[in-house]
Amino acid sequence: MSIAHYLILSAALFAIGAFGVLARRNLLIILMSVEVMLNGVNVALLAFARLHANTAGHVFVLMVMGVAAAEVSVGLAILIAVFRNRKTVDTGDLKSLQG
Amino acid sequence: MGSIDPVFGIAAAVTVLAGILTVTQRNPIYSAISMLACFLGLAVVYLRLAAPFLAAIHVLVYTGAILVLFLFVIMLLNLKPEELGVEYSLKIRGAIALLCGGLFALIALPLWQDQRTLPKDPPPAFGGVEQVGDALFNQYALPFELISVLIMVAVFGGVLLAKKKL
Repeated sequence: MSIAHYLILSAALFAIGAFGVLARRNLLIILMSVEVMLNGVNVALLAFARLHANTAGHVFVLMVMGVAAAEVSVGLAILIAVFRNRKTVDTGDLKSLQG
Repeated sequence: MGSIDPVFGIAAAVTVLAGILTVTQRNPIYSAISMLACFLGLAVVYLRLAAPFLAAIHVLVYTGAILVLFLFVIMLLNLKPEELGVEYSLKIRGAIALLCGGLFALIALPLWQDQRTLPKDPPPAFGGVEQVGDALFNQYALPFELISVLIMVAVFGGVLLAKKKL
């Protein structure tokens, strides 16, 4: 079993998530796409941990999961605040900061 | 590139297909359900990578906490079809898809020549609770504590941001 398979899966997930972040305008789906990207990175970390038989990769994956949980909780709180004030989850409508 | 392990092949196919569905569905609830399939496929991949502890944590954190949080917010917002907003035109989305396909090719094409194979059997107890816990609390104790601070700040921030009156 080659490590390349795992890294290609990782790259595929990252590219899919990047597409979601760039091409979608629904804030909920953008946040979900970020999760998919983070999971792609986790696969690569675990594959290298297995290749070098080093547990450090597992610890990093735990850190990524912690950061992902924090990011989602704050992101969804912002989304709720935005929806309450603007009645929209479309990023195209949120242009108060546009010059 | 050697032969593909069938369990990994199926799990990877499910993961990628569910991932594509996650980012392309119009209705967020279908996206969330696709994300569930994506995460369960990933848990199988983690098991193939000799990481049983992280596979369990992955299912707990991602499907148990993050996905449920998404579902709660989707139900709370209760978006009607006309409130989902408009999407970019097909031309723009096609261009972005091409760009992301290029990103994937940029990473995946060099890997085609990658001959490194994973060791047949991992060291005994590799990826179990004992080893990961040992590394986490000895070598990486400080990052671990910092993550706990980050999560606490995120909890306070989430409550503050979602409050009706600031």
